[in-house]
Amino acid sequence: MVARAETPPAWQNGKFAGWLVTTDHKRIGILYIATSLVFFVLAGLMALVMRLQLAQANADIIGADRYNELVTIHGTTMIFLVGVPILAGFANFLVPLMIGTSDMAFPRLNALSYWFFVFGGTMLMLSFFADGGAADTGWTAYPPLSIQAPGSGQDLWILSLHLLTVSTVAGAVNFIVTITNMRTRGMSWTRMPLFVWSILIYGWLIMAVMPVLAAALTILLLDRGVSIGPWDVQTSFFNPADGGSSVLYQHAFWFFGHPEVYIIVLPAFGIISEVLPVFARKPIFGYKAIVASTVAIGFFSMLVWAHHMFTVGLPISLQAFFMIASMVIAVPTGVKVFNWLATLWRGNLSFDTPMLYSLGFLSLFVIGGLTGIYLAAFPIDWQVHDTYFVVAHFHYTLIGGVVFAIFAGLFYWWPKMFGRMLNEKLGKWQFWLLFIGFNVAFMPQHFAGLEGMPRRIYTYADESWEGYNLASTIGSYVMGIAIILFAVNVMRTRRSGERVGNDPWQADTLEWYTTSPPPLHNFDDVPYVTSARPLYDLRRRLRVERGEREPA
Amino acid sequence: MTSAGSRTRVPRYEPSGTFIEWQSVPFPSFLAQFAPVAPESPNAEGIRDSWLFVSIFVFAIFVLVEGLLVAFIVKYRRQNRPRFEDGAQAHGATKLELAWTASPVVVLFLIAAFVFIELPGVKDIPEAAAGEEQLEIKVTGRQYYWQYEYPNGVIAIDQMRAPAGVPVSLEVTAPDADVIHSWWIPALGGKIDAIPGVTNETWFQAKNEGTYSGQCAELCGLEHARMLASVEVLSSDEFDAWLDERRAEQDAGSGELGQEEWEGVCAKCHGPSGEGGIAPRIAGSPTLTDRDALASIVRSGRGTMPAVGSGWTDEQIAVLLDYLTENPPSGS
Repeated sequence: MVARAETPPAWQNGKFAGWLVTTDHKRIGILYIATSLVFFVLAGLMALVMRLQLAQANADIIGADRYNELVTIHGTTMIFLVGVPILAGFANFLVPLMIGTSDMAFPRLNALSYWFFVFGGTMLMLSFFADGGAADTGWTAYPPLSIQAPGSGQDLWILSLHLLTVSTVAGAVNFIVTITNMRTRGMSWTRMPLFVWSILIYGWLIMAVMPVLAAALTILLLDRGVSIGPWDVQTSFFNPADGGSSVLYQHAFWFFGHPEVYIIVLPAFGIISEVLPVFARKPIFGYKAIVASTVAIGFFSMLVWAHHMFTVGLPISLQAFFMIASMVIAVPTGVKVFNWLATLWRGNLSFDTPMLYSLGFLSLFVIGGLTGIYLAAFPIDWQVHDTYFVVAHFHYTLIGGVVFAIFAGLFYWWPKMFGRMLNEKLGKWQFWLLFIGFNVAFMPQHFAGLEGMPRRIYTYADESWEGYNLASTIGSYVMGIAIILFAVNVMRTRRSGERVGNDPWQADTLEWYTTSPPPLHNFDDVPYVTSARPLYDLRRRLRVERGEREPA
Repeated sequence: MTSAGSRTRVPRYEPSGTFIEWQSVPFPSFLAQFAPVAPESPNAEGIRDSWLFVSIFVFAIFVLVEGLLVAFIVKYRRQNRPRFEDGAQAHGATKLELAWTASPVVVLFLIAAFVFIELPGVKDIPEAAAGEEQLEIKVTGRQYYWQYEYPNGVIAIDQMRAPAGVPVSLEVTAPDADVIHSWWIPALGGKIDAIPGVTNETWFQAKNEGTYSGQCAELCGLEHARMLASVEVLSSDEFDAWLDERRAEQDAGSGELGQEEWEGVCAKCHGPSGEGGIAPRIAGSPTLTDRDALASIVRSGRGTMPAVGSGWTDEQIAVLLDYLTENPPSGS
C-alpha cells in the first residue's frame, strides 16, 4: 500500500491549486476526462469545418492547405488526445476503486503522465499558429511527404507525439504495477472486474508498441534534419531520394498503429462489460471467455499491422498471412459480441442512459466489425483501401464503438465521480440525436467510398458523390447538437443535478461500496472479495441475514 | 473487333472463371448496391465476386446479431418487474460459447478459401495470345499528375489511352525525389501504390470502350484531390492510330501532349489560365516562352515549387513551349 503523504502546505488546499498539485488518482482521472473532452470538442469542430467544405462538389470554403491540416490534426487529436487519454481517465478514476485500494502505485508518476498529456496536446493545438501551419500529412505522416513537408508544423507534431508517448507509457507502467500488486484481499485474477482486465491488457499493449512509434518518429525527425549543437544531422532512413525506404516507416507505424486501435477499443469493451450486467441484473455471460478474448485480441493485434499496407505491393504470401491473422482477430471479437448478447438473454432490462449507450454500442460496433472483414480480404482491400469506405469503417468502430462506450461510462459513473446523476431526459435525447446523426453521417460514406471517393481529399469534382456527402454533413451537425446537449447536461447537473446515494444502480463492483464521491483514501474498509461481483454477494448476504431475523 | 498492326491483337474477352456465376444469382438490389462499381476488367470482376461472397456472410451475421439484440431488448425488458429484481443468474454455457467461437472460424475459412480461389484471376495478367505482345505502359505518379510512357516512347499525362480487350500491364512507380501516390481506376481493378524507388505491377483488360476515371488514393500533398486519372478505352484500330499520331506529333515537337502538360502539371497549382492558385500567377511571364528558363524551372523547381518535370525529355519541354507559345495563358 502507498504511504499516506504528510499534511500538505495550506496553499495546496486552494480550490484551484488543489487540482494543480493533486496526485489523487480520482482527481487525475477527472482531469484526464475533462481535458480529453475539451480536445474532443476541438477535434469535433475541425470535423464540422471539413464536413462543411465537403458538403458540395468543388466547394471553396477552406483551401487545400487548411483542409489537410484539419484532416491531420483531427485524426491525431481524436486518437492521441481523446481516445487514449479519456480511457486513461476512466482507468485512473476506477482501477484503484475497483480493486479496493487507496491510490495508484505511483501517484506522482501518475500526475506526471497527466501533465505530459496536457503539454503534448496543447503543443499540437498551438501548432496551427506555427510557421507554415500545423502538420498536413495525415495522422499517419507517411514519408517522403512528411520529410518534405515545409515549415515546423510536422516537427511540432513529432515532438507532441513524443510527449504523449512518454505520458502514455508512464501511465501504462503505473496501471500494470497497480493492478498486479495492489488488489484487495480475495481479488484473484478471475475475480477482477472486466474493465480492470481490459486496462491491464491496454497497459501491456502500450508497453509493447508505443516505443516502436517513438523510434519511428525519432527517425522521421532525424530524416527531416535537426541541429544538435554545432552539428546539422540529416539521415535518410525513410527517404528514398538518398536510398532509404519509405515502406519501412509504414511497417513501424502500423506495428504501433493497429494495436493502438485496440488500446482504445479494449477499455471501451471493458466499460460495456461493466454496464450491461448491471442493467440486465445478471452476471456477465462467460467471464472467462471475455477475459481470454481480451488477451487474445491484445496478442493478435500485434500480428495484423500490414493489413494497412495491402496496396504497397508486398509479396502475396505476406498479404495472405496478414489477411489470415486479421481474420483470426475477428473470432475473439465475435466471442465478446455473443457473450454480451447472452448477458441480455433472460435479463431484467432497464433502459437508463448508460444502457442505451451500451446497446447503441453493440448495434453499431457490429457494423464496424463486419465491414472490417471486407478490408481484411486483401484483394477486396485493393479496391476499397484509402477510400471513404475505410473512413466509414473506422468511424463505426471508433464512434459507434468507443464514443458510445465513453458516454455509457460517463452516464454510469458520473454519480460516483460527483455524487450527482446526469439528467436522464437530456441524456436520452442526446443518445437518440447522436445515434441517428451518426448513422446519417457515416452510413453514406460506405457508398461514397465504393463509388470511388478517396479519403483525405479537400474537394471533389464528381457530382454523383454530392448526395452522400451532403447527408454526411447534415448527420455530423446533428451529432454536434447532441454534444451541445451533453455540455448543457453537465452544467445543469453541476448546479442542480439529483443527488443520489452511493450505489444508485445497485451495481456489483467495489467502487460502489464507498461514498459518492469517494473520500481521499477511498475506503475505510473493503469487504473480502468472494467473486467477480463482491457487492452482489454482500447484498445477498444481507438479505439472508435479514431473512433469518424476520421469523423472530 | 479486329486486329490491326503488329503491336497488339485483340483476343476475345472471356469473363474470369469463378465457380459461381454471380450474374446468374438473384441478389437483392440493396446488396448489389453495396458493392464496388460495375467491373469493366477481369481483375475488378474477381474483386467484386469476392466482395459479394463476403457480403452473404456479412449480411447474415448482421441480421442475426441485430435481430437477437432487438428481440432480447423487447422480450427481456423490465415491464412490471421491480427495478432491481435479478434476471436469470446464468454465468455461461460452455457448449454454446464453443459453438460461437467455432462457427466464425468456419465462416472465415470459407471466405479465405474463396479469396484464394479468386486470387489468380485478380493478380495474374492473362497470357497474351501466342506470338503477340502485351501492351506495357509505365505509370509514374508525381506531384500532382500521372505520366504514362508507351512502348514506342509516346508520353501522355493524366489521360491514358488503351485498346479494348488487350491485357495491359502497368509498371507503377514514382521518382525518387517525389512522394507516394496510389494508382486507382475503380472499374479497372484495385489500387497499387506508386512509391519512390519501388516499381509495382498491376494490369487491366478493359471489356468495353469508354472512359473510366479514378484518382490518386494516397495523400500526396496540397493538390492530392486534383490528381485525377482516366483511362479512355478505344478500339484496337483507333488506339493504334492514336499511338502513331502521337509519335509523329512528339517528333514534330507539337500537339496534344503540350496541352496535357499545361493542364496536368502546371495549371493544377497555377490556375487553368495561369491566374494563380496555390502557386503564384504566371500568366504573361517571359519564362513561359523562353526555352532555357522554362526547361530549368520545370526540371529543377524553384523555392517551394517541386521539380515537377525532373527527368523530362527535351521533347516534353519542346511540346510545352510550343503549346504555351500558341496558347499563352490569359490570366483570367
